[in-house]
Amino acid sequence: MLPLRGKGNNEMRSAILLSVLAAAPAVAQTAQGDVAVTIYNDDLALVQDTRQLAVPAQRSRQEFPDVSGQIRPETVTLSGEGIEIVEQNFDFDLLSPGKLMEKAVGQEITLVRTNPATGAETRERATVLAANGGVVLRIGSRIEVLRDDGLPARVIFDKVPENLRARPTLSVTLQSAHAGTRPVRLSYLTPGLGWKADYVTLFDERAGKIDVQGWVTLTNTTGTTFTNADTLLVAGQVQQGGGSESDYRGYQPRRPPTIRKPGTETAGRERLGDFYLYPLPERTTIANRQTKQVSFLDVSGAPAHKAYEYRNSWLGTAEEAQSADTVLKFSTSRDQGLGDALPAGTVRVYMRDAHGNAQFIGENAIGHTPMGSELGVKTGEAFDVKVQPVVEQRERISSSRWKTSMRYTFSNARPEQVLVDLVQAGLDSYWDDTRITEESLKSERRSSDQAVWHVPVPANGTATLTATFDTRF
Amino acid sequence: MGGKPRPLFAGLGLAAATAAAAALPVAGAASAQAIVTSAGPDKVSVTVYRDPERPAARPMNLEWLNGFALVSEVRHVAIPAGETEIRFEGVAGGIVPESAIVSGLPDGVIEKNRDAYLLSPASLLDRSLGKRVHLRRTSRATGAVREQDAVIRSGADGAVVLQTQDGFEALRCTGLPETIVYDGVPEGLSAKPTLSVRTRSSRPAEAAITLSYLASGLDWQANYVATLSPSGERMDLFAWVTLANGDETSFVNADTQAVAGRLNRETVDREEPEEPSLALTCWPSATTSDSPTEMPVPPPPPPVADAQEIIVTAFASKSGIAGAPAVMVSQEELGDLKLYRVPEPVTVASHSQKQVALLARQNVKVETIYRATVTGREDDELIRPVRILKTRNRRQEGLGLPLPAGGVAVFGEGYARPVLIGEGSVDDRAVDEIVEIRAGEANGVFAHVVRTSGDDDRGEYQLTATSDQPIPVRFEAEFGGGPDEIFAAKGAKVGRRNGRPLWSVTIPANGSAQLRFRLDRKS
Repeated sequence: MLPLRGKGNNEMRSAILLSVLAAAPAVAQTAQGDVAVTIYNDDLALVQDTRQLAVPAQRSRQEFPDVSGQIRPETVTLSGEGIEIVEQNFDFDLLSPGKLMEKAVGQEITLVRTNPATGAETRERATVLAANGGVVLRIGSRIEVLRDDGLPARVIFDKVPENLRARPTLSVTLQSAHAGTRPVRLSYLTPGLGWKADYVTLFDERAGKIDVQGWVTLTNTTGTTFTNADTLLVAGQVQQGGGSESDYRGYQPRRPPTIRKPGTETAGRERLGDFYLYPLPERTTIANRQTKQVSFLDVSGAPAHKAYEYRNSWLGTAEEAQSADTVLKFSTSRDQGLGDALPAGTVRVYMRDAHGNAQFIGENAIGHTPMGSELGVKTGEAFDVKVQPVVEQRERISSSRWKTSMRYTFSNARPEQVLVDLVQAGLDSYWDDTRITEESLKSERRSSDQAVWHVPVPANGTATLTATFDTRF
Repeated sequence: MGGKPRPLFAGLGLAAATAAAAALPVAGAASAQAIVTSAGPDKVSVTVYRDPERPAARPMNLEWLNGFALVSEVRHVAIPAGETEIRFEGVAGGIVPESAIVSGLPDGVIEKNRDAYLLSPASLLDRSLGKRVHLRRTSRATGAVREQDAVIRSGADGAVVLQTQDGFEALRCTGLPETIVYDGVPEGLSAKPTLSVRTRSSRPAEAAITLSYLASGLDWQANYVATLSPSGERMDLFAWVTLANGDETSFVNADTQAVAGRLNRETVDREEPEEPSLALTCWPSATTSDSPTEMPVPPPPPPVADAQEIIVTAFASKSGIAGAPAVMVSQEELGDLKLYRVPEPVTVASHSQKQVALLARQNVKVETIYRATVTGREDDELIRPVRILKTRNRRQEGLGLPLPAGGVAVFGEGYARPVLIGEGSVDDRAVDEIVEIRAGEANGVFAHVVRTSGDDDRGEYQLTATSDQPIPVRFEAEFGGGPDEIFAAKGAKVGRRNGRPLWSVTIPANGSAQLRFRLDRKS
């Protein structure tokens, strides 16, 4: 069931609704205190954990378990009233049999051998000499390898070494002038917590409108549950090249960017610099390995239209007709669009089928998009609308000039007329003085490289565009 | 691992090869020299050097540290008269043996050795070749233990052949639980990496030996925390010295320094300590035997140390993120390098990261710039500019001290909490240099470049810079062609930066700014 509702207003957009808050909070044992997390798009979060600490006078060692398992140690800071920090230690040296033995090198242990026939036990003290690829023991004056003969032998350690721990633990040696309980704030950065936006877009083609619901999808793979956290989401990039820059498409053929024209409007959201802040209205528990979705945008009836686009490279001939791209065009402006900035994420487009059920028609990624931008989201390729570009003729008209005749055949199997934006690119790929000498429809020169024709193709019909280019070489 | 000096006269193993051994021929003779083992340093000093190949922007990988350190240890050793081998246990595993300098020996050093073999079941077996050991067999039926003497006649490479009174036998091919019991640890095998020196002394002496060496597997960098004022024109700058020790050896209560700057290094071939695991094979065993053919499984090797420990040492906190620290490193000149000294001894533990305050400056003047690099190679390009914090390392700006390379985290205050607004890095910056911190990409500022005519060799362009912010922002476009590129702006003044044209403009609140320009690349 899709979470699509037919709201007739734009009022909901400023509210953030918790969608998956469990009715009864899980009673989990945690040493965390008052937790505030600030989560970024690019797999990064700032955790601030204020714990009530009973601090005796003078020196004491305090432990801070339940910090993120992926904590970035160089970012740890600790602060509190009236305390001086002597030393902070973070151990993620976790207790395991191997570690226990490694740390016992040079120390005595107790070896209990069991007689394989009678089950009788004999106890001996042994010194661990080395634990390199096997354990070498000294028992009395003799040297043995532990369990070399495969017989049962228990090793009993006198104690667990101090820095071997069950969970990642931060411990701090404090110096305090007086005893008393006080809040101490621990803060650090951690990867493993991140969020992205998911946009559920219901397109009503007949009405030329879209309803858009924006969802924040929050993921926690830190290994740690953040209990009852005051949560703030920050949209924007903090690292160079980090995160989900969705306009980047590697070495794929160049496609028109999703943002066709960047906007300059400021959305009615909390901001810091060029970041948008999305506070969650209630505290929430972000469990480890949990994906949590929160609604942050709900707009109905924003204008949108479908467009067909086809881009032909210079001297490109297609052996058979190629599908045109289906592109959903809309704006994020206050007056003519969604009226909000869109954090980077995925736009999924749905349409209603004959029975009124929403069906998925395609998706695309968007980068951080300011309010007031014009967007063109390619959802797929049209089944019914095709273009076949053909280089009809190349003629040499002088020692340096060539005449190129192009024919573009459009077909439309749909019961209504469509408009196809045909882009002929590469006009300046060899020399820049390319001219269009003849054309069957008026073109628009978008840049020195590209000319675009808006070609109407009749219902269940075809159309032909011809153009002649005068180029050097 | 530090602790008290433990000068030991090692009377190990081979003393046993005396009268009782007559039944079997035994190879190998005891050497004449005495062995003195120093378990650890009494006092240690560590100076950490940054990996010269690691750029400022790359954080340290705690599993793979390529910086290095100069370690100086003082050890008290009792030296007997005559020839002595002094074994220095507990040196860094990453020691570069040829860099070791040993001083303080009354009669100097004859030779220095570093043994890459660690004590392990395999090395124990290997070093016992030709020596007399005891073979212990246990009956599963009765539990009776029977021991007999044996001499190892093959190496540890996959199988063991023993000579007993009955003839020659293969270990673990009997189907019986059996093991070798040794009389001692062969000399030259230590649990930890060990450097040894041979010396000759005319009389017994108590010596304070200074051992200095270079060791790999450590690294350091600065970590800056910049907190921007609400106006964005000032910042508080705090920095840590972050030291990382990826070695298996801890430096306890060490005088600790870090050196900034690049110094030349040559590649050294380093032999890793060897700790081969022991896997014995036997002849194919048929099913005619009714003995259980269960092969004893050797205990699993200890996991590779992945222990990491972070220590932030001694800073008093007021209430801010990082207030005035109680302990801060002091900076000294060291030739053309900068040395940072931790004022009190600290422990640089094995597999750990430690932080000590480096500097704290309030109210540093700073400017935020959005800078786009325009190549003009594409006919229609939407560029997200880089967010740059710019200041100058001078007293006027509130700085004016050497800034060693490291990462920078930039915070602003929003929604009643510090909010990270950029992460970048800064290279080594001397006093008076311009400091630019590239901290992320802009979210709402764009540079849209359209070629209106021409091609990518020679073209006319229109640049539109837009901003969605309700305040004016500084924008710069840098035209990144080579020296042969001719750039001409139309109706706007364009400066130069690093030889490249630079257009600086303030984009008005929620507005845009435009520049028409021409690029001409000579072929």
